[in-house]
Amino acid sequence: MLIDLNENPTCTECGLCREVCPVFQIQQREEYSPRGRAMLDSAGIQTLVFYQCTLCRTCRIVCPVGHDPSGETLRSGLIAVGEETPANQVMIANIRQYGNPFGPLAEGEIPKTLTCC
Amino acid sequence: MEDLESLFQPGQVSTREETRIAYSRDASRIQGECQTVVWPDSTDDVARLVRWAVETGIDLVPRGAGTGLCGGATPQNSVVVDSAHLRHLGPVDIQTKQIVVDAGIPLDHLNRTLHSEGLFLPVIPGSHRSATVGGMIATNAAGLHAIRYGRMNDWVEEAVVVDGKGDVHRLSFNESKYVVGREGLTGMIVQAKLRLAEIPRNRSLTLLRFEHLEDMLNQIRSLKTNPSLSALEYLNPQAAVVVGWAAKHTLLAEYQSGDGEIMDLVEMATLWKTRESLSARLTHAGFPISEDPQIQPETQESILDWLTVQGIPVFGHLGVGILHPRFLLADPRIIDLYHRVITAGGQISGEHGMGLKKRQWASEALKSDIVALKTQFDPHRVFNRGKLC
Repeated sequence: MLIDLNENPTCTECGLCREVCPVFQIQQREEYSPRGRAMLDSAGIQTLVFYQCTLCRTCRIVCPVGHDPSGETLRSGLIAVGEETPANQVMIANIRQYGNPFGPLAEGEIPKTLTCC
Repeated sequence: MEDLESLFQPGQVSTREETRIAYSRDASRIQGECQTVVWPDSTDDVARLVRWAVETGIDLVPRGAGTGLCGGATPQNSVVVDSAHLRHLGPVDIQTKQIVVDAGIPLDHLNRTLHSEGLFLPVIPGSHRSATVGGMIATNAAGLHAIRYGRMNDWVEEAVVVDGKGDVHRLSFNESKYVVGREGLTGMIVQAKLRLAEIPRNRSLTLLRFEHLEDMLNQIRSLKTNPSLSALEYLNPQAAVVVGWAAKHTLLAEYQSGDGEIMDLVEMATLWKTRESLSARLTHAGFPISEDPQIQPETQESILDWLTVQGIPVFGHLGVGILHPRFLLADPRIIDLYHRVITAGGQISGEHGMGLKKRQWASEALKSDIVALKTQFDPHRVFNRGKLC
């Protein structure tokens, strides 16, 4: 047969998770949907797209097979190969040096920027 | 591809690797190759893109939510046109029970919006959470309540489509046959005026289990005489056990009245949720290939009996004769099924479409029909090249 079916061991790629994903609602691109991230993971791609996940896990709730795209695991894979967003690097450096993600803060000072991934 | 990017705003075109991988297949998991993805913001954008495609000779593959199961949205080194930015909802016309919507609106989003008006689009495919109106029109979706509400072609009052020459057509109900169920072969659907139904006030459900197939089919004849019947879903024993039910021939009969045994809304929702999870559960259980033959009542017994004896899980909308037997990867019995369905006078594709998966099974009549439509609407073969013709 002409069909070359892709094997994805964890995600059935049904796409029912798209609309509940807050990141997909903003980005409106398949690679930022839970299915898209699972496809990228299945293809062995290490990409900063994996940081575009709020870790809310709403996708797991609606997934008919209960698949958890496990954003933490995908990001761990990125860290292992040295892939980080600049913001993430700053945040981690700040935590290590100052004990908070914002950097040096005077007593009672409110951070002016929220560093996030 | 620089020319294409210059035609659109930044962010409307992507050739990055992550994008191309995510758009290289749909829910069929039939692997293709995506060259570029474009997100049009308007009908004019689509028309401009088509004119570019005519000039360059590169083909376009329109895509809704990518929930199709036949590779209808799988590209073949094509440019994918994602309708995700086409999400405008017009006001509801309460008098005529109609609404104008963009093609990229997901069905559940539409129905949530309509709920306060007491209206809904009653064509509910299993992928309703994500499926877009455009994709449902292109495949002439049927779904769970087809026995009462029919298919998408009954609900499209008007369709706006950009054809393969870049011309925009506003097709009336009688002309919608040029796009409804045509799997994006005649152009890209960008907008539709939809007919709506009133949300039923009463609903109830009965779960029926049978040891013998013949007994169930006899019972169906009786059930179908009830005018309030609004869904008649079937699971064979192999499918029933996958969702933890008894290994029997099982029917879910829904009524828009109090004729069903279960009236508790939570209990009904639980049963429907279980039924709707079946497709993905079967994929997960090692039966990823979903077929969708449509079979006349008089030949259902022989085909259902063959499938069950073969140990093939089956579920489907038996009220309208659409079944979803599920197969192993590269299962040779799929071809056997096709032969049996054709011999029985049925259709091998009842609601999923032909896509890439079944293109070589298209009848001569269908091919001839498509060639005539292509000549009229898409003479340069811009849309879905290689699918059906």
